Amino acid sequence: MSFQRMDADTAETLAGMVRLLRRAAELVWAAANTEGAGSPRQVLALGIDLAADEARNLLPDAIAVDGPVPIGDQPAGLLRSAEQLLRRIDTPAAGAALHGLRARVADLVWEANTDVDG
Amino acid sequence: MSTADRRTIGELLADSEALARETLLDATLEQAPAMVRSWNQLVGSAVELWAVLPSVPNSPSWSDPMERLRAIGEAISRSVTAGHWPGQGPTNEHLTQIADNLSHAQHLLERSGRPSQSPTTDSPADLQHAPGQVMHTLYVAAHGTVVALSAYTADLHAQAETAKRRRQPVAERPAALEISAAQGMIARFDGFEHLAAAAYLAGEPPSPTNPEQAATPTKPLETALAAWEVQAHRTLAASPDPAGLVRVARVQALITSTTSILTEAAAQKGHIDVDVIQRLAPALEASQIAWNRMAKRWGELTNPASRTEPALVGAASEVRAAIAATASNQAGWATPDQLASRLDLPNIVKTLHLSMVASVEIAHVVRDTAADHPGLTAPARIIGMRSQGEAEIALEQGETRYEGVTWTTPRQLASNQLIPLPEPARRGLINIADDVLATTKQAVAAGAQLEPSDVTRSTRCGRQAPIGRSVESHQITRPNNPAPIGPGR
Repeated sequence: MSFQRMDADTAETLAGMVRLLRRAAELVWAAANTEGAGSPRQVLALGIDLAADEARNLLPDAIAVDGPVPIGDQPAGLLRSAEQLLRRIDTPAAGAALHGLRARVADLVWEANTDVDG
Repeated sequence: MSTADRRTIGELLADSEALARETLLDATLEQAPAMVRSWNQLVGSAVELWAVLPSVPNSPSWSDPMERLRAIGEAISRSVTAGHWPGQGPTNEHLTQIADNLSHAQHLLERSGRPSQSPTTDSPADLQHAPGQVMHTLYVAAHGTVVALSAYTADLHAQAETAKRRRQPVAERPAALEISAAQGMIARFDGFEHLAAAAYLAGEPPSPTNPEQAATPTKPLETALAAWEVQAHRTLAASPDPAGLVRVARVQALITSTTSILTEAAAQKGHIDVDVIQRLAPALEASQIAWNRMAKRWGELTNPASRTEPALVGAASEVRAAIAATASNQAGWATPDQLASRLDLPNIVKTLHLSMVASVEIAHVVRDTAADHPGLTAPARIIGMRSQGEAEIALEQGETRYEGVTWTTPRQLASNQLIPLPEPARRGLINIADDVLATTKQAVAAGAQLEPSDVTRSTRCGRQAPIGRSVESHQITRPNNPAPIGPGR
């Protein structure tokens, strides 16, 4: 999806999704740090970071990503919300990058749900 | 290179190998700085020749072993150009001559492909061995440089000790900074040497010292790691910023954890000696913690608008996916039994160990970036806080030059403007990079016995104390190659 063709609603939705993903990553990293070196949660945490990076890179510079910190302290819940937001973006302009991102976030929801405290 | 040079490509390569061996014999401490300065020219020539060699497998750049070596060569060059030790000065004649030979071979090869020119007199069989010869030349030359650097560092140590005993003024003693810079350079050339040795052996026919590695499920991880190293170097060279540095450190931490999990599984299955794992496990844990601390510290310098370069995100995603598929299950890390049934544990452990070796170079580049990359910026509020903290630590240690300095203006603080990193803010980042370097080098040293071949293994004794390694003990033999073509030197 090119930056020029992105409408304001889509941009806002994506920005909200970036915030959700970043918050989820923060929570999983905190859990990984509590567990100590070698925590397997870092696989999930890095995956969420990278999905947030991908989403951020879809947004034009003009769109502000900062905003209120999403409510919730369950990574799986935050990821589900992010996935739902992504489903709302269904314009013809939604390119391969967005489809790939959808698949990755869906995988992360599954991974977080199989995580013990997800 | 003389205009009347009529050597064939085979002769040029054989001469280059002979010259590389000579660097080992002439690897005196006086040559060390010059050898470091010549390195980029040598690697650059090797890269250009490699690109036109007909017998190099036509693989994507990220899986090309020369690409990894190019990344390290360029990183060392950037460091020297930026003013780090050894700085500007004379170059080394042997290495320059090898570079000239390789460039000449490249021109001959390119010329022979043009219809108006006569073809090279080298037979296809001669050229078939060319990639191995190029890699072997780089490997031996890198080792020669390590030997010279080790002698240089040992001499500085000795001078410092003598000066201390004689109570010479501090200004007349060798600077501690120079000693640590030269030691850092040893680690970088050590990494280069390791990777060149592994690439050389990977290209050789199987032999008792170089057993054939079957195509196994380790391949995707191996490919992802090689691609990651190249991309991390590219990103750090082109546009380092806090967001990218966080990703680099997080991925390195994950690679280190994976190395730990798989190495312990290999030990449980009897592939690794108990005493090796007893040294290696705590070293890997310390390295993983250090990389994560680095990620956290750089993370403080990001802001909501930060982006991570898409190519870096892509390479990191590949590593993560390969690790998830290789080493984890639904509940977390896979068990040693699961890992043993999925993987060729001894081989994957070697692959991961090589990746640890390469990570030392990445840590050096991160350190250089923290020390003096002019483009680094971060939000004013965190910079103000961190700089003040570091300035206070400096003051407690008797360093008064930061006293009374303000690091941010009220306006910058009000808008949390992105501002360049002042020196004290860089200090903390450098210290963390030093921790990563120390712990990762320790892990590499502890895992030295996991090397790709018995031949290289025999050269690794005393890795923790590289000073004084013997020249004689260090040769990769080339039993499957014909005798060097061309005149002896």
